[in-house]
Amino acid sequence: MSSHDGEDTAEQTSNVSTPEETDSAIITVYIGATVPTGFEHTAAEEVQEKIGVDARISKDRGRIYFPISTDKLFQVHRLRSVDNLFVVVEEYDHYQFKESKEETLMELQQLASKLPWSNALKVWELNRSLKKKKGHRKGGNSTRVKPDSEASVADTRQQELPRETSPAGGDAKTESVADPESCQQDSEEALPEARLIKFRVTCNRAGDKHSFSSNEAARDFGGAVQEFFQWKADMTKFDIEVLLNIHNEEVVVGIALTEESLHRRNISHFGPTTLRSTLCYGMLRLCKPQVSDVILDPMCGTGAIPLEGAIEFNSSFYVAGDNNDMAVNRTVNNVSHIQKRRADKGSSSGLPIDTVQWDVCNLPIKTSSVDIIITDMPFGKRMGSRKKNWDLYPSCLREMARVCRPGSGKAVLLTQDKKCFAKAVSQMGGLWRKVLTVWVNVGGLHAGVYLLKRTAAVFGQTPEDVRQPRGMAGTQMDERDNK
Amino acid sequence: MKLLTHNMLTSHVKGVTKGYPLLIKATEVKVNDVDFNPQFVCRMIPKLEWSALVEAADLLGHRQDLPSELVPDYEKNEDFLKKVHRALLEVEVIEGCLQCPESGREFPISRGIPNMLLNEDEV
Repeated sequence: MSSHDGEDTAEQTSNVSTPEETDSAIITVYIGATVPTGFEHTAAEEVQEKIGVDARISKDRGRIYFPISTDKLFQVHRLRSVDNLFVVVEEYDHYQFKESKEETLMELQQLASKLPWSNALKVWELNRSLKKKKGHRKGGNSTRVKPDSEASVADTRQQELPRETSPAGGDAKTESVADPESCQQDSEEALPEARLIKFRVTCNRAGDKHSFSSNEAARDFGGAVQEFFQWKADMTKFDIEVLLNIHNEEVVVGIALTEESLHRRNISHFGPTTLRSTLCYGMLRLCKPQVSDVILDPMCGTGAIPLEGAIEFNSSFYVAGDNNDMAVNRTVNNVSHIQKRRADKGSSSGLPIDTVQWDVCNLPIKTSSVDIIITDMPFGKRMGSRKKNWDLYPSCLREMARVCRPGSGKAVLLTQDKKCFAKAVSQMGGLWRKVLTVWVNVGGLHAGVYLLKRTAAVFGQTPEDVRQPRGMAGTQMDERDNK
Repeated sequence: MKLLTHNMLTSHVKGVTKGYPLLIKATEVKVNDVDFNPQFVCRMIPKLEWSALVEAADLLGHRQDLPSELVPDYEKNEDFLKKVHRALLEVEVIEGCLQCPESGREFPISRGIPNMLLNEDEV
């Protein structure tokens, strides 16, 4: 069993319950964060920028790790590219699993009492007290103890997403343990609430060579944890969530710092295909918004992308547009909701964002007046159709090229219809140049985020921007259908 | 609709060549509180159609003595920049319409959202 030497853990766990007195000594721990797959580097950049440390990108895609000292812990809640956060208890790079399932599971059980829980638990407690203070985001100063309204909004409206898993062969489901043994003793820990701690274990397992399932690991490990701490197992109303992440030979034990995933933070009025805010943030970082940039989302849906931009990259100006009645109304509702929340906190509420109802193929916008176009293009699955995309994508790209500033303009476009998109872009070589692609996972679909640069060519002078008469486009589609 | 947005909007009715700027007819206007960023305003001014901004602000009663033409060295005049900031980002048309100066076609504004969708025959 090899141990990763990254942490600064102080003590071995011989007699650890949860800390009885509050240690004011500053300790350093490792934080793990789940991020949208494909945006690990973006997230690492944000960590470097906001926390000032280098993050390590895990072989397990969708995860990064970085060190932090407890006096700076509140900063992790400012990270916008992270879905979930946890504090690492222990990490094994090359865990040598035993041959048989019985031996392996036995070893996992024994592990529970040997792990350096102490620091991680201190961080968990510290984090809990941080969350109780309202306004830990953006350095707000309120110390009223009040349920976090952001969390409760997300609660009532959040659509359930499957937890992050990496399907590298075999069983990669999320499993939790619900140990049938009920714990009757009173807690001996001197926690602020002086009541029994409730916990659950969540195991993610990926890899071909394991002799056990995540179910079994969670159950046995969880049982041992319960024995050791005398906590009570509870699947739904838990205080502490212990994470057991196994990816081939990498084993990470952690304690969750986030309750519900942070990815739906801005949206109170959902639509059928609302993008999670962490993905929006990743896309925005990709286009590097500058001061006074005019940023358009011409197919904004519920406005998730421009809204995230107006909050996080607020020196730019966002125009959100859609042709659909419900979409523009939802966008305005989402903006109003955030503005009201800001007003309640006492800060100036207005956001640099506006909403217009329009047709993306015929934008009522002056030529060359936009710096960045950023949007989630219809995939053709839940919204629109593949057939429509053949017509829509080239028209979109053409119109977007017209309004975008030649030479300096950029576009960041998300789509799952990669074939159609590739064809449309290749037809627009005189106006758009592909810079890079980030492959992401959106609701289980494999999609691409494409960063394009607007060429210096003035619109109206390249063969691509000759607009085809309406009739012809229909004919082309019919021909294709008849083949 | 903020005046910064109005500055970029144009009529795209078929056949229209002079569709900018759109005339504003407002029945409800609101003023918000938006954080002032002088750098933002400075860099935005060269991207604007200045006269269109001043005319629109004037029409809504929020001109605040902005000059018809830009004065040199405005970058250092914080007073001036604050007025531009207010006109660009804080004044909002909530109800009313935008009118194409050439065709007369009206685009309604409701809940702050201008509806610029055209009918089949106007495209």
